[in-house]
Amino acid sequence: MNGRVVIAIALLALAAALVFAARPHDVTADERIDQITTELRCPVCQGLSVKDSTSETARQMRDLVAQRVREGKSNADIEAEFRAAYGDWIFLSPPVASWSGLVWLVPIAALGAGLVLVTGRLRSTDTPQAAGPSASEVAALRERVAREEAAEG
Amino acid sequence: MILGRVVRVAVVVAILGLVVTLALAFRRDPHDIRTGTIGKPAPGFTLERLDGSGTVALADLSGKVVVMNFFASWCLPCTQENPTLVRVYERYRASDVVMLGVNYQESRDNGLAYVRRMGMGWTTVADDDGRVALSYGVFGPPETFFIGPDGVIAGRHIGPIDEATLVTAIETLRARAVR
Repeated sequence: MNGRVVIAIALLALAAALVFAARPHDVTADERIDQITTELRCPVCQGLSVKDSTSETARQMRDLVAQRVREGKSNADIEAEFRAAYGDWIFLSPPVASWSGLVWLVPIAALGAGLVLVTGRLRSTDTPQAAGPSASEVAALRERVAREEAAEG
Repeated sequence: MILGRVVRVAVVVAILGLVVTLALAFRRDPHDIRTGTIGKPAPGFTLERLDGSGTVALADLSGKVVVMNFFASWCLPCTQENPTLVRVYERYRASDVVMLGVNYQESRDNGLAYVRRMGMGWTTVADDDGRVALSYGVFGPPETFFIGPDGVIAGRHIGPIDEATLVTAIETLRARAVR
């Protein structure tokens, strides 16, 4: 079989797999519990999510999330309940629309400032291109060369 | 030239901002953590007494100053702060101040044995599933919450509490109630 056909079939298969994986589907209760507990910080751990922690507190938080999901509460409602008790600290990723969102914005602003600085520096170090000799200078040079050649005989 | 000046000003402003932020952060007592519950109505609850003699509802304590202390027998700092709690309880037991111990993450048998061993005469309740602790944003025992007669959480203290802090918080709330 032609190599190009094989590559084309492989790419098509890959694209089909991606489309299949990304297809819209109903999120199950367990998936929602996993989503929410992945976002929540375990209060008694060092940087662990509630989903990943084996602590008793994390287990109680998972139970609470599961109960709220069963009760039909939305993800936003459940997150708001934990935010009311612990503040934005309870989320492993700080919400963008709050003071803690500066954590996201400051690096981007610093990167922009750095780009502006580097661009400015590069422009200022560009040396202007030397202008070519004028017609009178060329004529004078030719005359000098002719004179020196005549002198050499 | 102008760009260089802008950059210098930006660096100075950034350093000043950092200094102010750190100064404000370090000025605060690390035990006094202002999480979401401070200044808001205390989450309501009804919990069973550790000795099994009925239930306690926060709503029944309305109009009183409530000192709510999360404790556990496995928590060494709880043992360390207990003599302070006992002294303050004896001082206010005939007043409008209610002390309430909430047993945290342990069996009722262990909690009750600890309460009897440590001479805790105040009401103690069991938070079996940890829901009350989660609703108050508890990180771990010991933690003490101060609830005013209006039912609003006026303050919290994380870690073992000393007598001066405890009495000051109680008296502040009592004075506010009189006004």
